[in-house]
Amino acid sequence: MADTVTAQAVFDALLADDMTHIVGVPDNGTAEIFALAAAHEDVRLLTVTREGEALAVASGLWIGGKEPVVVIQNTGLLESGDSLRGTAFRMGAPLLLLVSVRGYAKMVSSDHQINIDRAAGQVAQTMKRAEIDSVALLTEPTLRAWNVPCVSCRIDADVSQIAATWAHARLAGHPAAILLPYTLQ
Amino acid sequence: MLSREEFLAPLARRRTEEVVVTTMSVVRPWSRHSDHNLDFASADSAMGHAADLALGIALACPERKVLCLNGDGSMLMSLGTLVTIVEAGVDNLIIFVVANQTYEITGNQPIPGAGSIDFVTIAKGAGFKRTFAFDRADEFDRQLDQILSAPGPTFVCVCVEPGSEDVISRGPGEEARYLQVSLADWSKQMRDVLTERDK
Repeated sequence: MADTVTAQAVFDALLADDMTHIVGVPDNGTAEIFALAAAHEDVRLLTVTREGEALAVASGLWIGGKEPVVVIQNTGLLESGDSLRGTAFRMGAPLLLLVSVRGYAKMVSSDHQINIDRAAGQVAQTMKRAEIDSVALLTEPTLRAWNVPCVSCRIDADVSQIAATWAHARLAGHPAAILLPYTLQ
Repeated sequence: MLSREEFLAPLARRRTEEVVVTTMSVVRPWSRHSDHNLDFASADSAMGHAADLALGIALACPERKVLCLNGDGSMLMSLGTLVTIVEAGVDNLIIFVVANQTYEITGNQPIPGAGSIDFVTIAKGAGFKRTFAFDRADEFDRQLDQILSAPGPTFVCVCVEPGSEDVISRGPGEEARYLQVSLADWSKQMRDVLTERDK
């Protein structure tokens, strides 16, 4: 089977981990998660106006005893840096972030060129190449720089990592991320 | 225009078991009035995210009033939150904007639109049905009981004189308990309090 993850499998894993709210900004990759949340009577869906806002709302929900999940695209992840750092992380809120990875396929298909640029010390050139969506290049390095552990969820079997990742976040007392390179089916 | 005391003292006198979220130049002045288990200082934290944090608490604790004492500069950084608040349908959230027209904490630089911006019109445009604007202390004091007791969401803009508050420094040098510990320690403690009381 090709690399795909079903939204239902992800949603069920989150429900099994006591998720109470989904807070975020939808995109094509995660639209099905938003649809499932909207239809579920025990999960409150909150669509917000920007991704940093999602992290702050979710942090407030967590203080109030809830178990929110933040669903955003990687572009929005970059936008939300100060909120992630100053709110969720400073508060020790173990938020789980589902991050759709825009540009992943282009990054994979341009792997050869990226390696050439890297070997030549021309990573800045890679960021400008028309065939590459630079946000994908920055996603994992940015999460590492921000000390947010992350795992990728490429096939349904990977969904089992959601529980382990969230458990680790709760134990450590800080956010963690699940990367979604493909559109949830 | 109100002094900071004329804004904070009437609120502190009436405050009972509400969550109070403060940020920026209001944090330390409020801490001189209040050292409550449900005070949350969104300080040494992210810029402009007090109102959305307060929304999260209000959603999580629908039986409890949540007051956010926001700055005008902070509100400008997340105007979209006003739309989210209305859309969320919370009736237990009151947003106070302390309109001193400056980024006081960083040295009183004027905010964009200083002297001309109309926050109440913006709030109304976002869908707030209950909005108030005050530039006189007696009027604020006279209407505050009703503001605090009626269902919201409610938006209140209060013209307050600029001051010279500095950033807080969490530790024993601060007056209130919630400023003496890390944001993480206080957040955990407050979560414990809210989950126990709101069960």
